Amino acid sequence: MTPLTPLMPGSLATVSLEDYGPILILLAMAVTFAVANIVLSLIIGPRRDGKVKELAYESGMNPIGTARKRFNVRFYLIAVTFLVFDVEVIFLYPWAITYANVDPASPEATLFLFRVLFFMLTTVIAYVYGYRKGVFRFD
Amino acid sequence: MDAILDSIFPLSPQFFVGALTAVVMVHLILGTIPLLIYFERKISAYIQDRMGPNRVGFDLGLPVLQKLFRGFGFWGLGQSLADGLKFILKEDYMPKGADRALFTLAPALAVVPAFIGWAIIPWGGEFLLPTIEFFGREWVSGGYASVMVADINVGFIYLLAIASLGIYGITLGGWASNNKYSFLGGLRASAGMISYEIPMGMTILATLLLVGSFAPSVIVEDQVRNGWFILAQPIAAVVFFACILAEANRAPFDNAEAEQELVGGYHTEYSAMRFALFFLAEYAHMMTSSAFFTLLFLGGYHVPFIELTSPEATGFLAVFVKINVFFIKVVGLVCFMMVIRWTVPRIRYDQVLKLCWSSLIPLSLVLVVATSIMLKLGATEWWQMALMNLVLLIALVPTATLLFNSKTVNKKLPMAGSRFSPLREQDVSTAPVSRTALDDDNPFNKAARPV
Repeated sequence: MTPLTPLMPGSLATVSLEDYGPILILLAMAVTFAVANIVLSLIIGPRRDGKVKELAYESGMNPIGTARKRFNVRFYLIAVTFLVFDVEVIFLYPWAITYANVDPASPEATLFLFRVLFFMLTTVIAYVYGYRKGVFRFD
Repeated sequence: MDAILDSIFPLSPQFFVGALTAVVMVHLILGTIPLLIYFERKISAYIQDRMGPNRVGFDLGLPVLQKLFRGFGFWGLGQSLADGLKFILKEDYMPKGADRALFTLAPALAVVPAFIGWAIIPWGGEFLLPTIEFFGREWVSGGYASVMVADINVGFIYLLAIASLGIYGITLGGWASNNKYSFLGGLRASAGMISYEIPMGMTILATLLLVGSFAPSVIVEDQVRNGWFILAQPIAAVVFFACILAEANRAPFDNAEAEQELVGGYHTEYSAMRFALFFLAEYAHMMTSSAFFTLLFLGGYHVPFIELTSPEATGFLAVFVKINVFFIKVVGLVCFMMVIRWTVPRIRYDQVLKLCWSSLIPLSLVLVVATSIMLKLGATEWWQMALMNLVLLIALVPTATLLFNSKTVNKKLPMAGSRFSPLREQDVSTAPVSRTALDDDNPFNKAARPV
């Protein structure tokens, strides 16, 4: 088989850090905006304390204990399952760009397609396993 | 001195235009958000058959301005401005037991990603910048530049990465408040947002397969040539729109701040400007995601049959028209989100997650596979893709009802001691016992009883 040619035209040739410069300007503006607003209202706003005022508002009930307690394990399950799928999606991005630039009639296109179908199959197996284990039952 | 200036200048056209776009668009977006809040109030008012804000003008309570405007209310446009000013003057309170650092950091963490996410949105296409020189020095060299903050070739990856960062602000805000409702709201928000990121990523993938590039400018040019992608990938567009609603924590997926269940959710304990930043972040997020949707599915700055909005037009007027077109599309989408918020009831939390994990994710995965097979077959015209979408939809509806058919959705947990499941030997009577209530001749009872 012939060696693969670079498929993303000009992708590496045009990378320069200068392109990212304006993002730093934008970031500086956003951070300044956020910090200035918080500081401004801390300076200008009034300050009054009280025994009842400092309680957390829980629908008018006196708060019982702290809020940093153990919580439902399903949130962890969602996070872990998310990781599986998110990593898969990230791997699929470079593939999608490469695959779209390959000539569809060439044997490489077939190879690329079946490779990624196999890759997706592993995720589908993980999904079915999770489904059977009841990870996606939230009620 | 000259040597230092020589090493910096002339700037490249892309850098100059990018920096200019950043400065202009930040102010434009910050100025649009109060207007959007006004729109939201007006839209909700009209949907609920009210008037909405129509009194507060711009006189700020000053006698001079009151005399000048003669009591003219500007249709209530000053309402958002008054709200914003009021937020600065209110007390910024932190409840006892809150994590001081995180409580302050959280609003900033929410607002910053919402503001830097749109750095790769191509607001105005290409612009032919003339050389800028004065004082005998060439400050900016002329040439073609994209009217966007950063013309980077990994544009979409950047946007996805930044959009996910918004979760931190909300989760940390909920955790730091030391309030159980806030904590639950933060948890719900984080679980919902990370769940909806997966179908969002996959629908983007299905669309990017048609382009073959991450660069936003290339995506718009492709849509100008081959038709908007909402025609080629309608399923992806609908799924993507649902996902950006969930990512921006908007109704019908706004369980993080469900008033009936969680008071205000993650921002229950927030007040003054820190609360305003959360509010601002939500609207900025809506604008960013609408711009994202416009870029991906609605052809960006392009309008069919208008020469000025084609990628070939690079003059100043063309750029001005393109920015306006893009902005009108974005504001239209945001208004559509508002109409959804005030007409569609909030979905229950387990149903939100269920919708994502057992319908949107399989659907978008199948869509990616189908699109790549269509690419292999060489059928990439928009009508062929639309046909594939239609076939997929017709084939998937019966399959989905067979595969994901769970019957135990609304099972009721007994709450011991309540009137529906009383404790043993506990007499729970729900019938009225007072004589007045049982008196049939009482005219009030007759009126209350259904005929």
